[in-house]
Amino acid sequence: MHKKKTSVRRANIAVGVVLFTVVACLSLFERPRVRQPAGYPQLVSVQDFPTSPDWCPPPASAIRADTNLFSAFGNGSVYAGSPQSGETGVITRPPIRTIRDKDPIYSAVAVDTRYDEVILMDNNNWGLRVFNRLDNTPPDAPFTEPKRIIAGPKTDIQFNNGVYIDPQNGDIYSVETDTGDKVVVFPRDAKGNIKPARILATPHRGFALAVDEEKQELFVGVQYPPEVAVYRKGASGNEKPLRSLQGESTRLSDVHGIAIDPKNKLLYTTNWGHVSDYRIVGTGRIEDPSISVYPLNAEGDTSPLRTIQGPKTQMDWPAQMTIDPETGDLYVANDIGHSVLVFKGTDQGNVAPRRVIKGNRTGLMNPSGVFVDSKNKELWVSNFGNSSADVFPLNADGNVAPLRTIRSAPSNKVSLKFGKVEALAYDEGRDQVWVPN
Amino acid sequence: MHGFSYDPIHDEIVVNSPLSQAILTFRGAVNGEEAPLRVIQGPKTRILGMGYAALSTVTADPVHNEIFLPIGSGGYRGEGTGGPQGVLVFDRMGNGDVAPKRMLAGPDTQIRNSTPQVAVDPIHNLLVVKSNGLLIFDRAAEGNTKPLRVIRGPKTGGFGGGQITVYAEKGLILSNSMDGWAVWSINDDGDVAPRWRIPVKQITGGGQNSGIAVIPKHKEIMIASALQNRVLTFYFPELFD
Repeated sequence: MHKKKTSVRRANIAVGVVLFTVVACLSLFERPRVRQPAGYPQLVSVQDFPTSPDWCPPPASAIRADTNLFSAFGNGSVYAGSPQSGETGVITRPPIRTIRDKDPIYSAVAVDTRYDEVILMDNNNWGLRVFNRLDNTPPDAPFTEPKRIIAGPKTDIQFNNGVYIDPQNGDIYSVETDTGDKVVVFPRDAKGNIKPARILATPHRGFALAVDEEKQELFVGVQYPPEVAVYRKGASGNEKPLRSLQGESTRLSDVHGIAIDPKNKLLYTTNWGHVSDYRIVGTGRIEDPSISVYPLNAEGDTSPLRTIQGPKTQMDWPAQMTIDPETGDLYVANDIGHSVLVFKGTDQGNVAPRRVIKGNRTGLMNPSGVFVDSKNKELWVSNFGNSSADVFPLNADGNVAPLRTIRSAPSNKVSLKFGKVEALAYDEGRDQVWVPN
Repeated sequence: MHGFSYDPIHDEIVVNSPLSQAILTFRGAVNGEEAPLRVIQGPKTRILGMGYAALSTVTADPVHNEIFLPIGSGGYRGEGTGGPQGVLVFDRMGNGDVAPKRMLAGPDTQIRNSTPQVAVDPIHNLLVVKSNGLLIFDRAAEGNTKPLRVIRGPKTGGFGGGQITVYAEKGLILSNSMDGWAVWSINDDGDVAPRWRIPVKQITGGGQNSGIAVIPKHKEIMIASALQNRVLTFYFPELFD
């Protein structure tokens, strides 16, 4: 019963939050004038069909030419082509409205502790923004200017979701999720529209990065088909992975975060719980989200050592994850929960988090990235929902205000949270359009 | 998610869950975390694949109480499913592990695509499938049925990925066409130039203009422009007048 309930909750999340409505015009509460339900065709309207061979252009509009929208475009109605003429009416007028969030939407965060810089991944404008670690946007300031921006067509940054900073030389690793299918690597001081120093082709839907510095191995978490692909850290081009963790026994599902515990030689993944083998009918199911734990050198269809999963965990679209190597505390950006959940790396089963950072004082809104700055004992969180990143003490717990916040938009900003919009649906009754993320 | 559907008669939203092989139906007024009204999922459904095979999109036909799920080969990036390429049709009220009412698939259908898309014209009783062109079937076609008409060829200007839709009141098909949008009549057949074309990328600079919504109330169409993460509204009275 409970599993069913939580599965339904997961299913709900997959749409209730993925889809949100953009009000296109007026009458928000107007109820639709719907047709009567019917299991058979019904007459909707009677119209002349305009594209018959003997169709003629419509008569001129009764509205004065200087009072309609066409006057604004400097052109008039474009008549349809016809099969007989072989011509096409080409509409060249610009869009009359655009729904777009021009501010950054931050998907991930990392800190270069050697240079006291914070790197935020802008998934919306396809870029990386570098700030001073101690930047703190005043409440009345609209935003903080970054020190550097890496963005532009030469960078190959596209829908970036995972970031890693090399602790030795400051190299910036970025994984491109949907249209990119690659990891791009920039030198620490990169700026502007520049080519990456290195590009590594990765599987489609790569979402998270981690590096085992001791073994010089790069781990790429792949959403679906779920996989953790392990490459040489210096790999480039079409170099194949050294090994891959994937298969039904792994219980990987819709991977969105990975973390490495080099001290205990463990690999952690966050899983959203959408399961299926795309080659086998009926294998689809929706499970509770989870964290699964593997030996760091796991490969093939290896079962996890243990799993954290169940309603007590509060996980709700668990995204990026990071571990404090000194304490073994595992920090999880909990997107839909608007929280950061802190587990022990040794936890397993249906357990409550040891700590939860959540509430109106935290500034957290759809957090998707986390980073532990061990040197300065700080926890960084990037917010997908409001163009900001917050920093907390490593021992933060409950509804606490951040130590500092870097904002790239005014404080009351709520991001559109568009994450590559590919479809639309119109609700005529409410005069609203549905936009999936 | 590459497509979904609003049902204005029953005020419901029908969406696909690509990675869990499911069709979910929600209240039209759904907001926040709310359970779906119905879930179609399981071995009897014959649903196979993921976002780039089956379950790229789903389309409701509220007039006839049906849900259309196109299934493709996959293989867009990575190996394909090895399964059939066609269209599964479910009862709108189907819930749980239910079999489709019918299936349109086979060599005569000409549906051969990694991610076919469908639109339903409930007025003229037609099903339009985008698969290397626009294939126009009787709405109730099943099995290995030939299309009534096929719009395909160099004069069409080509087709792109993303949704298609039918503005049934005027008998017009709107389809992505090489990063723009183009309009054909449901009666067009063969190598036919579109009636209208909006070269969206040329006008706005944005690529993957893959989503569409027709807004008769305002004589507009809205286009989802994926690569620039934005939604564009074009005034297009010609489509409605």
